[in-house]
Amino acid sequence: MGGHEVPLGEGTLTLSEVVRVARAGAIPVLRDGARARMARSHAWVASAAAGALRGADGDALPVYGVNTGYGSLARVRIGSDRIQELSWNLIRSHAAGVGPRVADEGVRAMMLLRANALARGASGCRPELVDALCAMLENGVHPEVPSRGSCGSSGDLAPLAHLGLVVFRGPDPEESVGVAWFGGERMSAREAMARAGIEQLVPGPKEGLAMTNGAQLSCALSALMLVDAERLVKAAEIAAAASWEALRGVTRALHPDVHALRPFPGAIAVAADLLRLMEGSELTDSVPGKVQDAYSLRCSPQVLGACRDALTYAGRQVSIELNAVTDNPIILVDDPDENKAFSAGMFHGEPVGFAADHAKLALIELSALSERRTYRLTTGTLSSRLPAGLGTESVGLGRMMPQAAAAAIVSSNRQMAVPASADTLPTCEDQEDHVAMSTTAARRATDVCRNAEQVVAIELLCAATGLWCRIDEGATTLGRGTRAALDVVEEALGGRGSGVPSDDIARIVEVVTSGRLVERVEAAIGPLTAVHDA
Amino acid sequence: MHEVVIDGCSLTPEAVAAVARGARVRLAPEAVARLEASHAAWQRHGDPDLLRAKWAWLIGGEPPAAREALVERFLADHCVGVGPSLPEDEVRALMVVRANVLATGHSGVRPVVVERLCQALNDGCLPCVPGAGTVGAAGSAALAHVARVILGYGGVCLSGRGLPPRLEVDENEALSLINGASLTAALGALAVDRSERLLASAQAACALSMEVVQADGRCIDARAAAVRGHPGVVTVADRLRGFVAGSELVREGNRPDAFSIRCAPTVLGGAVDALAFVRATVERELNASVDNPLVFDDGVVEGGAFHGAPVGLAMDTLKLALVQVASIAERRVFRLTYGQLSGLPSFLVPGTGANSGLMLAQYTAASLVAEARGRAVSGSVDSIPTVQHHEDHVSMGPVAARTALDVVELVSDVVAIELLAAAQGLDFRMAGEAEVDGVLASVPPKQPGAGSRRVHERVRERVSRWHDDRVLHPELEVLGQAVRDGVFAGLA
Repeated sequence: MGGHEVPLGEGTLTLSEVVRVARAGAIPVLRDGARARMARSHAWVASAAAGALRGADGDALPVYGVNTGYGSLARVRIGSDRIQELSWNLIRSHAAGVGPRVADEGVRAMMLLRANALARGASGCRPELVDALCAMLENGVHPEVPSRGSCGSSGDLAPLAHLGLVVFRGPDPEESVGVAWFGGERMSAREAMARAGIEQLVPGPKEGLAMTNGAQLSCALSALMLVDAERLVKAAEIAAAASWEALRGVTRALHPDVHALRPFPGAIAVAADLLRLMEGSELTDSVPGKVQDAYSLRCSPQVLGACRDALTYAGRQVSIELNAVTDNPIILVDDPDENKAFSAGMFHGEPVGFAADHAKLALIELSALSERRTYRLTTGTLSSRLPAGLGTESVGLGRMMPQAAAAAIVSSNRQMAVPASADTLPTCEDQEDHVAMSTTAARRATDVCRNAEQVVAIELLCAATGLWCRIDEGATTLGRGTRAALDVVEEALGGRGSGVPSDDIARIVEVVTSGRLVERVEAAIGPLTAVHDA
Repeated sequence: MHEVVIDGCSLTPEAVAAVARGARVRLAPEAVARLEASHAAWQRHGDPDLLRAKWAWLIGGEPPAAREALVERFLADHCVGVGPSLPEDEVRALMVVRANVLATGHSGVRPVVVERLCQALNDGCLPCVPGAGTVGAAGSAALAHVARVILGYGGVCLSGRGLPPRLEVDENEALSLINGASLTAALGALAVDRSERLLASAQAACALSMEVVQADGRCIDARAAAVRGHPGVVTVADRLRGFVAGSELVREGNRPDAFSIRCAPTVLGGAVDALAFVRATVERELNASVDNPLVFDDGVVEGGAFHGAPVGLAMDTLKLALVQVASIAERRVFRLTYGQLSGLPSFLVPGTGANSGLMLAQYTAASLVAEARGRAVSGSVDSIPTVQHHEDHVSMGPVAARTALDVVELVSDVVAIELLAAAQGLDFRMAGEAEVDGVLASVPPKQPGAGSRRVHERVRERVSRWHDDRVLHPELEVLGQAVRDGVFAGLA
């Protein structure tokens, strides 16, 4: 994967390519077509900045952010002598983030998305800017980006300005004020770029805006979260199937003809996946006279299916944004109007914030449903005669206490359920009077995803313990998918567990988040249904 | 505070914070005596097969036969923490809080058990405590990780230290080390300690903003505050008057102000009252016997004294109070940076248009406020049944306390932003510069009150006045740290 090239500006960037660049070192490239488009729009901005274009009043044509101030200061015209200063001032004054820094993978994804947006050629910046971003990605120069403080409108201004502090320098060559990480060390932007052999650029007209206008951190974090969420949905299905077998559940609730009558795609997918995971099990449908199970099993298609549908929706929204121009103004060089600059609101993070909030809600529910199955597995009166608390000689009080841990984590998730995008505060002298808060939405969704991974891991640990009990009682044949999952769990634990639940949970979390669990199960039974469009 | 005495009755949030930062601890002689008496009472009245009975109650069946194996098993089984470890300061806070709970002398444990906790603190033998997974009722996962390490049974120390030698404990001692919502109390104590400094800073920032907008001083009139009567409002009005005393800017009879100024004593006062309630609750809990069973001279009582609800509720209250403080502070920042509302240049930097000044500082404040609002959702309204049907209502106190600490962080930076903007605005007033018809004009310079001046000086010692644009982030960082360090507390 390392050598994989990802073309920019072609409208083809996918979620999985974002992950490959962010986490696996795939290299973005600016090809000739995109380069030419960028050059044309840049030429138009350069002529506007030089005062070569005239407005209706005979003065220089006003173009927002090129020869005007920013935000509510758009009312102020900037003389040609100060245009250069304008972009660098924007970068400096907008670098206003606070709090812990964004992880490298998030910074990398943000850089990629900004480069991809600029490469569409509607932002009026030089191709060299995209080249510099690509070189930073290739060489591992990672700007230090504080995670808090962005409103997501007019984009992730502060986080992108922190990126700008590294890719750009001031007109005075001594003035490089950003901070970056290179080779695991924190250093000045100037030093990081020098060590990587990349030249810092002096921002030209509009390039400050072009670097900062757009919700790329929101989108970057959302993209990574959504890819992780797809893996987690599959892991949750695997855990649910294992619980189903351990609880000797009734599979009639999963019959395809049932789900055809209420044809939500997510529910159909979950029911089908669960049946495939459990195919061949001697444990399912094995309790004489039992007609149906509790909701945490029986309604898995409805609940987890709704989560799937929400995540699919979020993935589609974010995929559009991955390839979008999010700048302001945008430069439409082919428009017949002499004024090619169109001020609009393309930067507003609402579509991404909504998607992230929606995904967050889905992941909260995914974790809540999983915890209820864990409770069932560990509660003697509810578990089809598994030992109370799943206590056995080898696991002592068993898995009862991990269930309490799952409950605490689910509660943490619920605490984060308020949609960030429902909040807004007027900014910028009331010019920017409705903002997205999409960055917070994406960060919270990421937090929830990490928590949900732990909850699913706890379910898997408990379900595995239940299955060991069944095996010890004499069961020999598990579902094919469940068998593969149990093998992975046993390998991770080196048997049936260490006797310290915390250590066991950490090991299962690792097989979930590394993707090993899903890979091994899919190798056994074929792919589980995808969440995101290919 | 270099040393904190653990006596079971006088632990404060400040002392917990001091231990969290590295202060040593010493078990008071009177606590030792109390512990000895309590252990003797346990031996008279307690059930030596306590864990065996608990085991039967929880899951039925037979636990390990040997007592030592049972104790070891019991502690390990409760180690269910998930995710990265709590940071050192929080682990230290947790340890000192539990030591003090035991030192109240109603757990029946020997002094050596508490000595062991103290020794671990003093030696820097700090257990790795995975931060998530504690519901704040009965057997605490966080405490189980602590107990296992300090008793030398197993687990890992932060900073890679080896485990201490093993200390054999009896069944009751094992249970007493882990039974109670001490994580909630420990995080709560840190939150209270930080919130005191934060609220003091918020009042300093508010005073500075009042100077900049040339507030009508009647909004902090002592009589008006007194007839409403909320003690926090009276306190805040007093404090604000203290800051602006002698000011040429804040005068009675100036044009009445918008709510973010005029109602500041009311809003901040509400928060001060809330913090007083929260502090009282946390202080009580810090010195309470949060355990089960409880041991008395004449017998043993099984109850529910481990449940974290009281502090959980207080933590939720604290979040609401702090969010309110941030929310009104951000509106003042908006006002200060809004040329038409402040009578100063837009974004507090002379208006060439080529400078954006403090434009983004207000965005950052807005974002932080929104994030804090999202965080302010109550943790303790939630409960999920756990441990079969036995623990069917839990406090989620650790969730409430954790998010309270998150909110403290977010609000600290909002207050720092107000200080930055207000100091910048005050420079114009002190220099006699104002925006008139879009042009920077000379007006008579005016001076703030002596208290406000001290606040201004503390800002300017760290951050110089803005003229042309520069990088905002380091200035937010340095002022944010100053707020957390209490630099702006005690100035009026």
